Amino acid sequence: MNGLDTIRSRTGVRLRIAAWPWRLLRFGFARVLPVLALLLPVLLGSTAHALQIADQRGSTVDLPSPPRRIVSLLPSLTESVCALGACDRLVGVDRYSNWPASVAALPRVGGGLDPNVEAIVALKPDLVLATESSRATGRLESLGLKVMVLEPRNHADVHRVLDTLGRVLGVDDAPAVWRSIDASISAAAQSLPEGAKRTRVYFEVNSAPYAAGEASFIGETLSRLGARNIVPASLGPFPKLNPEFVVRADPDLIMVGDRSGQGLEQRPGWARIKAVRLGRICRFDAEQSDVLVRPGPRMGEAAQLMARCLREHGP
Amino acid sequence: MSIGTERPPALEARGLHARLGTTPVLHGIDLSLAAGCWTSIVGPNGAGKSTLLRTLAGLLPHEGEVRLFGRPLAQVPRRERARRLSWLGQGGVAEGSADDLLVYDVAMLGRLPHQRWLAAPGPADRAAVESALRSTQAWDWRDRPLGQLSGGQRQRVLLARALAVEAELLLMDEPLSDLDPPHQSDWIRSARSLAAGGRTVVSVLHEINAALAADAVVVMDEGRVLHHGASADPATHRALEAVFDQRVAVHRVAGQWLAVPN
Amino acid sequence: MNPRRRGPLLGLVLLLCAAVLLVLGALVGSTGFDNPFALGSNDPVGIQIVRDIRLPRTLGAWLAGALLGLAGAVAQGLFRNPLADPYLLGSASGASLGVALALWWLGAAAGSMPWLARLGITGAAFVGAVLAVLLTLLLARGVQQTLRLLLAGVIVGVVLGAIKDLITIASADILQALQGFMLGSTGLVGWPACALMAVLGALCLLLSVALAPVLDGLALGEATAASLGMPLGAMRAALVAVLALATGTAVAQTGLIAFVGLAAPHLVRSVVKTTHAGLILLSTAMGGLLLMGADLLARWLVAPQELPVGVLTAVLGGSYLLWLMHRRGARGTA
Repeated sequence: MNGLDTIRSRTGVRLRIAAWPWRLLRFGFARVLPVLALLLPVLLGSTAHALQIADQRGSTVDLPSPPRRIVSLLPSLTESVCALGACDRLVGVDRYSNWPASVAALPRVGGGLDPNVEAIVALKPDLVLATESSRATGRLESLGLKVMVLEPRNHADVHRVLDTLGRVLGVDDAPAVWRSIDASISAAAQSLPEGAKRTRVYFEVNSAPYAAGEASFIGETLSRLGARNIVPASLGPFPKLNPEFVVRADPDLIMVGDRSGQGLEQRPGWARIKAVRLGRICRFDAEQSDVLVRPGPRMGEAAQLMARCLREHGP
Repeated sequence: MSIGTERPPALEARGLHARLGTTPVLHGIDLSLAAGCWTSIVGPNGAGKSTLLRTLAGLLPHEGEVRLFGRPLAQVPRRERARRLSWLGQGGVAEGSADDLLVYDVAMLGRLPHQRWLAAPGPADRAAVESALRSTQAWDWRDRPLGQLSGGQRQRVLLARALAVEAELLLMDEPLSDLDPPHQSDWIRSARSLAAGGRTVVSVLHEINAALAADAVVVMDEGRVLHHGASADPATHRALEAVFDQRVAVHRVAGQWLAVPN
Repeated sequence: MNPRRRGPLLGLVLLLCAAVLLVLGALVGSTGFDNPFALGSNDPVGIQIVRDIRLPRTLGAWLAGALLGLAGAVAQGLFRNPLADPYLLGSASGASLGVALALWWLGAAAGSMPWLARLGITGAAFVGAVLAVLLTLLLARGVQQTLRLLLAGVIVGVVLGAIKDLITIASADILQALQGFMLGSTGLVGWPACALMAVLGALCLLLSVALAPVLDGLALGEATAASLGMPLGAMRAALVAVLALATGTAVAQTGLIAFVGLAAPHLVRSVVKTTHAGLILLSTAMGGLLLMGADLLARWLVAPQELPVGVLTAVLGGSYLLWLMHRRGARGTA
């Protein structure tokens, strides 16, 4: 009270009444400010990472901090999370996720369409990545879990999903991952001789027969490789075809999964298809099929597989 | 009733035991039913009449012996048995089961024991079916499906089916159910003429008056045969009155024996 | 009209319609309806398509439908139940399981089981269907008791279906291939398949018409049927064998197509009252026509895409049955 008293002795009584704001100010500087200084980065940090992201349904998911325990219910989302370097944050995956190898050690929580709600809840995730057709989304949300619905269907979707996941995970690798996928596809396209391009391809997904048309992500990859798809975009991404259509279209090359391709050459009328006559059928085994049918970070590898097929069996 | 000593009895049972499920129903039946005779089996509910008839027809497993025209039933080949023994079951046909079959086709089923596989019906078959349908006044509806007939009409078609077999022995369980009085007396008349023609008819009847119109009566109670004798025999009448706890009395009315409630 | 003449008349009508649809079937394909005169000699692809794809497919649809109609009539007579269908004794689940196992093993160890590759998916479906029915018979300890047979069939169907589900969960890529089979398709039927179905179909038809009297007799009651001198046990067993053979053959070629076996006998009965021999013959023709028509529409309506043929059989057969019920209800009596 020295300084103030000195002032008071000169100005009289008036200054004594005004002593308390100074005392408060001094207390503030001495005590509160240091605490504030400690808290400030935390406050600033949380407002910087607190996210509200809209998922594919249009619902907003509130993430105060980047999730550290993630459950993924779609193989392509599992692969995307791992491609973004956050594989260690996965605590559970669906039964079909099998890449990379480290994922095999994780607990399985059922399928994408029939997830085991109890198992998911028991893992205490702070984020669940699900598909649109998953029936457990509502249930999981009502149990207090945060669910993000992401289901890529074409190349643009994959790019967008990578970006979304990048923001969610708080990493900035997403653009780099997409660039490497893109570069891989371009490299595959460039590796093809001129003659291999413009090959007319029939990509069979299923022996019903269901085909991958121009409008599907598989079709997009084929287009970027320069090949032509006998199934035009007007028929949709995965149409169920009349087998006669394939005979009439007479593709130069057939790509099919090993199991679905059983007995393909014996189908009535198919013996005269150019691809069948000349033995230009690429049969992909189970592992390769997985790569081809997942719209995710391995699309570059898928393009390489298709390019190799075009090189080896092309005209 | 012509009991000729040259003909073996149509049906014989010796020490017959039978059970339904695990419950024993027939307790040691010894019976000899003469050929060329109309015998009726009567008794209170649960006496085992239907079970006895089914066992005699070879439709139920049993202990003891059953003989058909002198031969053990088990040794008679199936088709021969089907040709010599015609069976009409109780209760008619379940609703919906045979509704789509035409009356003529139902009656023609009775000719199956006489037909070979995949053979079309012959003139003998057609004659038998026509005569059977006419005798039950069902000939006029031969092209109608069974499902469109009333209960009594269906019963007459089923009777015709049993008659179409032209078997020497007819076993009928409650053949008069659903029939109105005129058709009941029609049936009684045809049973009499069948017996007069040398065939054997055995019927389970709960209409005691119809039973008394037969040549012989078998009185049953609780799985045992209490009496077997001619229908005109007073001993038969006493046995009947006894088995129904004296609640009926048998009197002669207008040339017939009638059981009247007491 | 004399009701006795209706049967043969219906049969004639069904066969004529089938002939018309056969011609139509040759003209309808992935390009919609082809002008018959445009299929000249300057379109060798077109002619070859008609010969190798459309004709065997259309005929195959008729044959498969005929087998299913036959099996349906036999099933409904054997079980005296108008809701019976050919898949009652577990044959559908058996065929699906056979296909699932074949897909699994073919993928996993293709080289070590060459006989399996030759048997093919078709053979696996057939063997599966027949084995399932045998299992049902074993479980029911013979054919004597209808109720026990039905119950055993349900149990076998459910258990085999569960095993198939386990297999598809274990390897996901089987699921897609299996779905194609389960939805049913006439799209890949060729001439050899037609020949096989024709031979086995003729055999089944002959056997079941010969055995039809036992179905008529059983309609009058078991005791009556036995008293008519028919060897009930042997005849029932033979009819179950016909059921298994006809269903297995159809399912092996075209997958699981529902409703044809159930609807064909009902459609026949709504027009004609006849003995089981007539019902079996007419159900065969009706089933063939139904599936042939459904196959035609399946590839015409959204050409070059195809609708699942099972959906169309249900729409065609079901709508007609609904209309019949409505008409019957309005009239008040059967």
